[in-house]
Amino acid sequence: MGRQYEIPVGAQHISLLEPLHFKFTTENEKIIKTDANVYYVHRGIEQACVTKFKFRQVSFVVGRVCGLCSISHTTAYSQVAEKLLKLEIPKKAKYLRMLVIELDRIHSHLLCLSHVAENSGFEALFMKTMMYREFSMELLEAVCGNRIQYDFSIVGGVTRDLRTDVAQQILQRLKTFMPQLDELVGIYENNWTLSLKNKGVGVLTREQAMQLNVVGPFARAAGLEVDVRNETEDLLPWKEVGFEMITDTAGDVHARNMIRLREIYVSIRIIQNIINGLPEGELVTETKAFPEGEATVRLEAPRGELFYYAKGNKTQVLERLKIKAPTFSNVAGMVKAFEGNEYASAPAIIASYDPCLSCTAR
Amino acid sequence: MNLAAYRKKSPWILHYNAGGCNGCDIEILACLSPKYDIERFGMINTGNPKQSDILLVTGPVTKRSRERLVEIYAQMPEPKVVISCGACASTGGVFRGMYNCEGGIDQFIPVDVYVCGCGTRPEQIIDGVVQALAILEKKTKALEEPVQLKRAAKQEEGQLNRRELADDIKPLLT
Amino acid sequence: MKKIETTLEHLRKDIAAFYNPGLHHFMVMNAVETGEQMEVQWFFADYAHPCETTCFYALTGREDEVPSIKDIVLSAWVAEAELVDLMNIKVENTAKGFVLEPDFESGPLLKKK
Ligand code: SF4
Repeated sequence: MGRQYEIPVGAQHISLLEPLHFKFTTENEKIIKTDANVYYVHRGIEQACVTKFKFRQVSFVVGRVCGLCSISHTTAYSQVAEKLLKLEIPKKAKYLRMLVIELDRIHSHLLCLSHVAENSGFEALFMKTMMYREFSMELLEAVCGNRIQYDFSIVGGVTRDLRTDVAQQILQRLKTFMPQLDELVGIYENNWTLSLKNKGVGVLTREQAMQLNVVGPFARAAGLEVDVRNETEDLLPWKEVGFEMITDTAGDVHARNMIRLREIYVSIRIIQNIINGLPEGELVTETKAFPEGEATVRLEAPRGELFYYAKGNKTQVLERLKIKAPTFSNVAGMVKAFEGNEYASAPAIIASYDPCLSCTAR
Repeated sequence: MNLAAYRKKSPWILHYNAGGCNGCDIEILACLSPKYDIERFGMINTGNPKQSDILLVTGPVTKRSRERLVEIYAQMPEPKVVISCGACASTGGVFRGMYNCEGGIDQFIPVDVYVCGCGTRPEQIIDGVVQALAILEKKTKALEEPVQLKRAAKQEEGQLNRRELADDIKPLLT
Repeated sequence: MKKIETTLEHLRKDIAAFYNPGLHHFMVMNAVETGEQMEVQWFFADYAHPCETTCFYALTGREDEVPSIKDIVLSAWVAEAELVDLMNIKVENTAKGFVLEPDFESGPLLKKK
């Protein structure tokens, strides 16, 4: 047995966007054990949502749980509140919510990919991916009015209509983005230098993913068919707009990259279908009711399954709100997938999980 | 060229998230990317506090990250500039009053530039950084000013009293 | 949502009988105050379409120790550690301090202290 060393990574580190602390126990450069401390950014949003804010304001507060997938949070909260109010929202609002969620997925996946490239030491690819990503931010700004923190979903519907010129602009920009995406797929798939850092690194098998209840692209790269868009249809009609499940079998960093890139193709198709078949109608359903009873909602955020539980008590303020973010489910899998890898690969593996700690900690 | 010239031409930035929602962090990342390209001011994102000149902080300070924030600030060499990015780093924003938040980084470390917005736009961040550059230059000048004792010794009761000679620069020493 | 009532004694047996990693995945644990008692909930969701969310719940007193399901559901330790800190309930073999600092006030989410 060799000598064991403990190497800490975090809370502030160049390869981390957020405060996150890993303690690796290594033996001859191999990681044999990992401890994670993921609660640096715990703020207490759940408590504020049930004391300080009224239930209509909460949808803006939960958007601030996470800046990358704020639309998923606001939509999931709006849906759970609508369930408590027994409210049926217009079909057009559902379509617009799906549109923004998919645009958000494109920008989030590209951000994660660029981050993997940077942490693997491929700075030029980071710049290239970030450059191609910029179109999705501009489209989001055109649709919702802000680059991040869209505040697009509210209880009962959405805040803005899709203007026809913006719709045309989206289709146009997607068309110019397609060849760029093909180029990115070519690089991430075939680049030899990148494959040294990504292929066969950070492997999580299907069996482990199942045992550890992993969700999102992390699980789909291991071959586990888990995607909320495939499982529920009562709230948002995903199948109607052309959703398709994407899985891989390898379960390593490279497979996760490819899953994200191929999901962007699906997102683009969904967006095109939504714009071409956007139904007419109102944007919001008004109501004077108060939330009552218990309800749960699941929604596919860019990182996986988002779960909301809410309980109302017929007043303006909710009784209990529970948020389960995708990364929360992945923590156990994240710690596991480090085992047996070189310490030098750790930054790329961390980036490939796409961890969102402000979601996890709330 | 000497060190001061390099510092003016190429300030290095350090980024720390003290509990924000990632929104402002990805905008800082977008600043580094080709469209906004903060590198044309010579800036590089670094991970080491000991090599950096500008500290970009986002997020209301949570209880677990406040010691890290102060530690990072203390490790940075003089002269240094702190930019608070976003509404929640400046005042606490939407998180103000939540049980695990302190609300605003200026309660812990001195802040030079406040950038508003939830989330901030890359243009605003660049604007803030350019202002920070001016402040950095001023701080560098102040630092390079030679220390001179201008008071003369006083004649008191047939003796020279030199006890108050260094009174003017005492604040610099503490 | 399918709600199944259970008790603290039968909890481990019920969940072991129900949980099949190939069919469901464990999502999260939650606790709600119901008057003097606490309602502790365990959420599971199916992989298949159409998907059913299953919730096991048990009513406990505030001082009771909740049995841990870490060995049945391997990823449950995160949820248990979080609930111990936020709702101030006792879970078998789980220490405080995962979420909050050691000097925190127990159970910030509780309405009735
Ligand atoms: S200011 Fe707003 S967008 Fe920026 S970190 Fe704070 S909550 Fe997020």
